Amino acid sequence: MLKTIKVAIVGQPNVGKSSLINAISNAKLHVGNFSGVTVEKKEVFLKTDLYDIDMTDLPGIYSLNAYTPEEQVAKNFLINEDFDIILNVVDANTLSRNLIFSLQLMDMHKKMILVVNMVDEIESKGGKIDKDALESLLGIPVILTSAKEHKGVDEISTQIIKLKKEDKKANKIYYDERVEQRIEKLAKTLQKSPHFRDDDYARFIAIRLLDRDEQVYKIIHDLPIFIEVHSMLEKMYKNLELEFDEDSTTDILSNERAAIAYNLQMEALNLKDEDEGMSEKIDNILIHPILGLPIFLFFMWALFQLTFELGNIPMNFIGEMFTQTQNFLADFLPKGMFNSLLTDGVLPAVGAVVMFLPNILILFFGLNLLEQTGYMSRAAYLMDGFMKRFGLQGKAFVPLVSGFGCTVPAYMAARTLKNPKDRIITMLVLGFMSCGARLPIYVLIIAAFFANHNPGNVLFAIYIGGAILGLIVAKILRTVLFKGEPEPFVMEMPPYRFPSSKALFMDLWIKTKMFLKKAGTFIAFASMIVWFLSAYPKNDMITQNFQTKIEQAKSSKAKAALKNELNAKLLENSYLGSVGKFIEPVFAPLGFDWRMSVSVVAGLAAKEVVVSTMGTLYAVGGESGASKGLISKIRENVDFKAAVALLLIIMIYSPCLAAMSTFYAEIPQWAWRVFYTIYPNVVAWIFAYSAYKIL
Amino acid sequence: MKKISDLKINDTAIVKKIVALEPVKGRLQSMGLVKGAKVKVLEHTLAKQTWDIISGNTKIALREEEARGVLIDRINENA
Ligand SMILES: Nc1nc2c(ncn2[C@@H]2O[C@H](COP(=O)(O)OP(=O)(O)O)[C@@H](O)[C@H]2O)c(=O)[nH]1
Repeated sequence: MLKTIKVAIVGQPNVGKSSLINAISNAKLHVGNFSGVTVEKKEVFLKTDLYDIDMTDLPGIYSLNAYTPEEQVAKNFLINEDFDIILNVVDANTLSRNLIFSLQLMDMHKKMILVVNMVDEIESKGGKIDKDALESLLGIPVILTSAKEHKGVDEISTQIIKLKKEDKKANKIYYDERVEQRIEKLAKTLQKSPHFRDDDYARFIAIRLLDRDEQVYKIIHDLPIFIEVHSMLEKMYKNLELEFDEDSTTDILSNERAAIAYNLQMEALNLKDEDEGMSEKIDNILIHPILGLPIFLFFMWALFQLTFELGNIPMNFIGEMFTQTQNFLADFLPKGMFNSLLTDGVLPAVGAVVMFLPNILILFFGLNLLEQTGYMSRAAYLMDGFMKRFGLQGKAFVPLVSGFGCTVPAYMAARTLKNPKDRIITMLVLGFMSCGARLPIYVLIIAAFFANHNPGNVLFAIYIGGAILGLIVAKILRTVLFKGEPEPFVMEMPPYRFPSSKALFMDLWIKTKMFLKKAGTFIAFASMIVWFLSAYPKNDMITQNFQTKIEQAKSSKAKAALKNELNAKLLENSYLGSVGKFIEPVFAPLGFDWRMSVSVVAGLAAKEVVVSTMGTLYAVGGESGASKGLISKIRENVDFKAAVALLLIIMIYSPCLAAMSTFYAEIPQWAWRVFYTIYPNVVAWIFAYSAYKIL
Repeated sequence: MKKISDLKINDTAIVKKIVALEPVKGRLQSMGLVKGAKVKVLEHTLAKQTWDIISGNTKIALREEEARGVLIDRINENA
């Protein structure tokens, strides 16, 4: 049985933690969630001859004065979990700022390794990091790495094992004498309680209390020593603040740490003051007060054009492939239920969905590119003034734009909004940003009714229309439900970086896999149900009735017409027909027939199902074809006004089950959940009805 | 005392004090805006609603409301 070394990987956001983890050789990556919350938890397992190394990647955290829910998760882990070694990753470019946080970590007095990443960027600027100086000043092992150039990365596991065997802890950080006195006194008092027998732990808690850490304060709140500690603390706060002439002891400690960190950087970083860097030059244009916004809007427009135009090319090819396969199998397999299930039910449905994979991938690729290059935060900067007017803030822009990709990660991205009100408003309107899965429906309807107008423009209008509606609703929600100032806006803008193609394609690969898996399982399964509901119960009476009529018909044209009529009759009398009839009254004012009604309702399970359901409902019996055939079927069967109403419904109504469950998981209050579940559907219906009446 | 929101583009200054409530204050400090740190204004939007500043290689975007909370001493005249 190998011994396990537990390592917590900690660092500020954007220091290259994920890149570093991806670069570790022979490691097994496991992605899950932290228990109880939906924050992504990455674990890296590494086997060596002597030890199993189990590393947990904590969410990026700026300081122990946690701010966002994700930082809270990281902090809870650090304070409550059991682990052997802290692996603190810092960015060489912003060393002193990063070290301020490292000093907070060193207060824990645990075994610790400092990983200074991105040294390639320092070196390319002609600078150098003095590793030995850092090691001797901090008293902990230091590793210089470049995740990009894969340098120093494999030293990490060696160093972890070495440190595990040694019995060497990080140096103690000594603060100003006046602060040290208080820390010592407080720690002594704390040690009266059995919770804080350990010297190091008592010192850590004492420092956190002087740092006015509310979470740690709550820990002692319920202990018998609370009263003594509390009155001692109050006195200390007052005296220290007087002695240092500061507003709060937090400032005193923060200034102390900043001074130490600054000196550390002076000792360890050898780099001449640089002139205006590359990022500033790019920013001079991209966030130019006048040019910035138009450029940004152009990027967005270009992305949607690409999504449509470029995505169309493989689309026809994929569609053709599925039709061919269907036709082949229909002839090749013995006639019967299985044949029909496969070639009328599953294949058209899955084909109709897979066709849109290129569109979705292009959109995701674009969004990832914006994120990875660092442009996304510029977009937030540019948009803040605008978003503020709608009661949202610039940072909400990122989840909102992610919503164009997929609503599920977008709901999670909303966590970066610290203020619960900002967050709930953003999440409530997120569904109006049309996700990638709705794209197929738009493309289908546009192809059927707007083929003569520039389809790219129509698509752009749909997306922008949804976004504008979302903003208006946000403003209404803000004024009606919450009054009060929006959350403060303070955001780091990371330097522009050339995206790593590995990370980009890795992500696309994962997306493709997940999409195909969904198409192969969930959608195939859903389409089987739809097929069953549409093929049963068998109604032999009608069939026989028509069979004779068809035989008697003179021309082949009349025969075909009768055949179609038969199929329609059969469908109408199927289970699905009954369901459709049942819900038809709701959708009848919008000009929907029962097939559209069923498709829309099925879309609540997953938006992909709308097109596949239509594929099944409109294609049954006809020359079984994937979406190309479907387009003409739709044109024949749906009138223009109803098509517009359908577009509006799809734009506005509730997102898919997966997204809804994510919302429920993120927002615990039942009142919000109920509101969230009902209101978009009501709004959607009202819009669709108005459009149908006005047109 | 002057605030960041009083500066012009390309002005440099030294941070004197942060006047803000937690957790904004802590966030500003952890991004390197501490007493004695040098800051430079890189950009602001047309209406001066959002500011882009740099301090020790970290670029920070903040709103006018937060920029008002960072008290500074200007150290250069705008060229
Ligand atoms: N030049 C350089 N870039 C890096 C290095 N490590 C990461 N990056 C880039 O820095 C950005 C942020 O990296 P990421 O791993 O997402 O940071 P995280 O937020 O800490 O997980 C990405 O664009 C990476 O490609 C490095 O060692 N050198």
